[in-house]
Amino acid sequence: MFGFFKKKQSASVAKDRLTIAIMSDRDRINAYPFMDEMKAEIIKVVTKYIGVKAVEIKKEVDGDFEALSIDVELDKRK
Amino acid sequence: MGIVIAVISGKGGVGKTTATANLGLGIALNDKKCVLVDFDIGQRNLDMILGLENRVVYDMVQVMDGEASVKQALIKSKVNENLFFLAASQTKDKSVLDSEKVQKLVTELKEEFDFVILDAPAGIESGYEHTIEFADAAIVVVNPEVSSIRDADRAIGILDSKSHKVKNGEEVAKYLIINRIVADMVQSGEMLKSEDILEILSIKLLGKVPEDKGVIDASNQGKPVILDKKSIAGQAYGRIAARLCGQKIEMKDVEISDSGLFKRLAGIFK
Repeated sequence: MFGFFKKKQSASVAKDRLTIAIMSDRDRINAYPFMDEMKAEIIKVVTKYIGVKAVEIKKEVDGDFEALSIDVELDKRK
Repeated sequence: MGIVIAVISGKGGVGKTTATANLGLGIALNDKKCVLVDFDIGQRNLDMILGLENRVVYDMVQVMDGEASVKQALIKSKVNENLFFLAASQTKDKSVLDSEKVQKLVTELKEEFDFVILDAPAGIESGYEHTIEFADAAIVVVNPEVSSIRDADRAIGILDSKSHKVKNGEEVAKYLIINRIVADMVQSGEMLKSEDILEILSIKLLGKVPEDKGVIDASNQGKPVILDKKSIAGQAYGRIAARLCGQKIEMKDVEISDSGLFKRLAGIFK
């Protein structure tokens, strides 16, 4: 009887968990629609000076703080 | 000129292929010419659901590679003359698809049919991207269950960034089918309500399909469940197909079960 009042219905737990998970998925994966384009341009610019193997861009969110971290992996052979 | 619809889902096993088969047949029953194309290369399934597995001679990869013509590869449905089917290749893997070939095939089919429905592979790798690339609209299939909904959101994200239409500044229409709804569980708060799912995914509803044992029985026989007039899932697919054909069919609330009074009444007469 008491359990009935205490227990939160699982569907609403699911809704809360999904809302949070999907929000962070969206931030991480599709941070910006222009991500691919930006990546290509960065590669172009950097290759002018030094060989590039790959570029990875990540959006990092920590509370109110947001940052783009751009990792450029160099191509040693070039 | 027909419309190209990709049927997609994030994860497998949510009933995407079943939905494709039933919508195709439902559209054909509304006197529209429809072709179903199985894009799940390497995992041919749609042929079984349609009961056409013994008739496959050429597959869609052979058509794309010019080894067979569209006409040679199209398989006519046993139950409706408006419905045709193009099988997935079983021997090759998903990497054989390329944009140019897919576009050529889709364009050719569009000229011949009112509806071109593409059954996408589950997941979000290259096979999926090629399926949605030239689609005018997408139907997303989910179950009222967390992993299916989360994965669907990722699939929608890719649709929104990789589709040809979006790249040209247009919008690709997206609609949701919620499959396998158990009314009693929704009522008791143990299953997500459709309005919550729509809110989370911010997408329009195309239809709700209740859980129905008849679906497995139908696939056992290779006869899409829409042919079973008594099946509640079949009826749901009938309503969705009619909506796709432009009819105004109101949303039946399958989240409220007909059991209770009806079942008890029926019991009396048994």
